[in-house]
Amino acid sequence: MITAISWKNVWRNKTRSLIVITAVTIGVFAGVFSMAAINSSVIQRIDSAVNEELSHIQVNNKDFRSSADVQNIITDYPDVVSVLESTQGVTDVTGRIIIRGIASTAAKSTGVEISGIDVNQERKMFKLYERIIPGTGNYFEENTKFNSVLIGEKLAKELNIIRYIITDESLEYLEDERVSSAVISKLETLKGQRFTSDKKFVKAYEKLLDPSEAEKYWWQIKEAAWSYREGSKLILTFLDMDNNQTGAAFRVCGIFRTNNDMFEEFAVFVPEDELRLLAGMEEGAYHRAIARLENDDLTQSVTREVKNKLADYEVMSWKEIQPDLAMITDFIGQIYAVFMVIILAALAFGIVNTMLMAVLERTRELGMLMAIGMNRRKIFFMIMLESIFLSIVGGFSGMAVSEIVIAITGKTGINLVKYSEGMEAIGYSAHLYPTIDIQFFITTTILIVLTGVLSSIYPARKALKLNPIEAIRTE
Amino acid sequence: MKVIEIKDLHKIYNSTEVKVHAVNGVTLDFDEAEFATIVGPSGSGKTTLLNLLGGLDMPTSGQILIDGTDLSTLKPSALIDFRMRNIGFVFQAYNLLPVLTAEENVEFIMSLQKMSTAEREERTMELLKAVGLADRADSRPSKLSGGQQQRVAVARALASRPKFVLADEPTANLDSKSASILLEIMEKLNKEEKITFIFSTHDPRVVKMAHRVITLEDGKVVSDEER
Repeated sequence: MITAISWKNVWRNKTRSLIVITAVTIGVFAGVFSMAAINSSVIQRIDSAVNEELSHIQVNNKDFRSSADVQNIITDYPDVVSVLESTQGVTDVTGRIIIRGIASTAAKSTGVEISGIDVNQERKMFKLYERIIPGTGNYFEENTKFNSVLIGEKLAKELNIIRYIITDESLEYLEDERVSSAVISKLETLKGQRFTSDKKFVKAYEKLLDPSEAEKYWWQIKEAAWSYREGSKLILTFLDMDNNQTGAAFRVCGIFRTNNDMFEEFAVFVPEDELRLLAGMEEGAYHRAIARLENDDLTQSVTREVKNKLADYEVMSWKEIQPDLAMITDFIGQIYAVFMVIILAALAFGIVNTMLMAVLERTRELGMLMAIGMNRRKIFFMIMLESIFLSIVGGFSGMAVSEIVIAITGKTGINLVKYSEGMEAIGYSAHLYPTIDIQFFITTTILIVLTGVLSSIYPARKALKLNPIEAIRTE
Repeated sequence: MKVIEIKDLHKIYNSTEVKVHAVNGVTLDFDEAEFATIVGPSGSGKTTLLNLLGGLDMPTSGQILIDGTDLSTLKPSALIDFRMRNIGFVFQAYNLLPVLTAEENVEFIMSLQKMSTAEREERTMELLKAVGLADRADSRPSKLSGGQQQRVAVARALASRPKFVLADEPTANLDSKSASILLEIMEKLNKEEKITFIFSTHDPRVVKMAHRVITLEDGKVVSDEER
C-alpha cells in the first residue's frame, strides 16, 4: 500500500509534478541527444580514418616517415606480407608506393602525396570508391585511360579543376532546395559564366545578393553551380629512385569527397604499375604495407603482436598515426561521464527541491502517520519511492523522447554544413547521424533510478526529524 | 481489568526561561470499555497527558502501563509498533490521507500490520457500516464533509482493535449536528467493540455523554467523577 500511496502522492500536485517531470525530460533529452551527436561525429571520424585514409595497421621502413625519401622502401616486402597475413585478426593486406610530389595545372601547383595502389585490393580494404562524386568519373574502372589519377575535391578546387557555372539545372536545384525566388532570379544573371575558383564565384554572387541572402544560401548556391569537366589533366612531378626529377601528365578519372579537407587536398591515387614505372622502382617494391583487421577492437593487441614480429620496421596502428583521434576515442568515455554527471545533477536538484516542498507541505500528515504507528523505515521508504517515481517518469520520458529523435535523425541526418564549414577542415563530417549504444541506455536508466534514491535522502531525513506532537499541530 | 495504569506521572518542560510542570503527579486507572473525558482550562495539561498516554512523549518521571506493559521500557521502534497495535488516535483536524479513499484510509493501518487482504476488507466494511459511511467507501476525503471525515477517522482508529482510543478535541471542527452524530457513533462503538475511549475536550456535549469526567488543573487531577 505504501507503493500506491507514494505513486498517488506524486500526482497530488499535478502541476508541480508535471513541471518537474517536463524539466527533467528536457534535461535528459538534451544531454542524451548531445552525446549521441558527439558520438556520431567521433564514430564518423574514426570510420573515415580507418576506412578511407589509414586502415588499421601500417608498416614502413624505419626511416620512411622522418625523411619520406623514395628510396626508403620496405626491404623484404614478401616477408612483411607473410607475417601480416599469418597474424590472427588480419583480414586483408595491401602495399602502397608513396612518393611526395607536386600536382600542377595551368593555374596552380601544390604539394601532394602520391600513392601508387593495387586497385583491386584497395577496393576490398578502403571505401574510397564509394566517395566518388557522381558525374566526376569512377574508381579506376577498366575502361579508364592510361595515366589515370584519383584526386580529392579540395585539391580539384585548389587546382581549378572544379569550376562554378550557373545552368538551368542549377536553378532547378535551387528551387528544389527552397531557395527564395528573389535570389534565384538574381543568380540568373550569372547563367553560363564559368568561374575557375571558389573565390571568384563567391565574389560574383555576393555582388548580386544582399549579405543576408548570401549568408543564408551560400551552401545551396555552391552546390548548384559546382561543375567539373571530365578528363581534366594535371601534371604530377616527383623525384625517382635515382633522385632525378620526373613526372607525367595524368587524366583525372574521378574526384572523391570525404569529411576530411586535409586528406582531400593532399592525397592523390594512381595505379601502382604506372607510378612504379615512372619512379624507376623494381617489381614488388613498396614503401608501405597496410593491414585491415576483423574489427577495430583488435587494433591494440594485433599491433603489439606485429611489432614484436617485425621489429626491424616501423609498425603503427591508426591510433598511433593519429593520436589526436585516439585521444578523443579514449576520452569519449570520460566525456560521457561528464555529461551524465551534469544530467543527473540537474535531475537530482529538481527532485530534491520538489520533495523538500512536498515534505514541508505534509508536515501534519507525516506527524499523523508517525502517531498512528508508521515506523521511520516505512516513512523513509515512502518518501524515497516518491522520489524514485518522479525520477523514473521524468528520466524515462527523456530517454523515450531521445530514442525517438535519435532514431529519426539517425536515418535522416542533421545537416550542419551551413553552420560548420570548418568541421570538414579538421576531418569531421558536417552531416551528423546521431547514434548511441544500448549499453548507454541501460547505464543511464540505472543511474536515473539511483539518482532518485539518493535525492530522497535529504528530504526523507527532514521528515524523520519531525516531532509527531509538533507536526500534528502544524497549520 | 485495567487497560491503563498511570502512576505518579510527571512531565516537566525545561525551556530556557521557565520550567513548566505540565503534568504534576497524575495517578489514574482506566478499565476496559470506559468512555471517559479529560477536561480543564487551557494549559491544564490535558493534551500533554494524552500525548504521554499515546506514547508520543516520554514522562519526566512516573509510569504508564498499557495492558501491563510499561511504555518507558520500550525502545523507540518497539514503541511505534506498540502504538500501532494498541492505541487508536482521533485528531481534531481529522488527518486522513487525502490521496486515499475512505475505505483505503481505514484499511491503511491494517496493511501496516500485514493483515491478510480478506481480513482487512471485512473489518473495513464492518467499520464503515458502523459509522454509516459504507456507501461512501470509494470517496476521497475532499468529497466528504467534516463530520464524515471524522467518522472515517474514528473507523480508522478502531481498525486494528486497539486497547483504547485517544480523541483530542474530536468535535472542535464540527457543526453541532455532525458532532452529535459522531458522538453517538463513538458511544455505540465503545459499547459494541468494548474499546476504551478517552477524550480531551472543551465540548460540553462530550462531557455530558461521558461516563467518567476527569478534571485537570495545573497538571493535577482535581476531580475524577463517575456517572
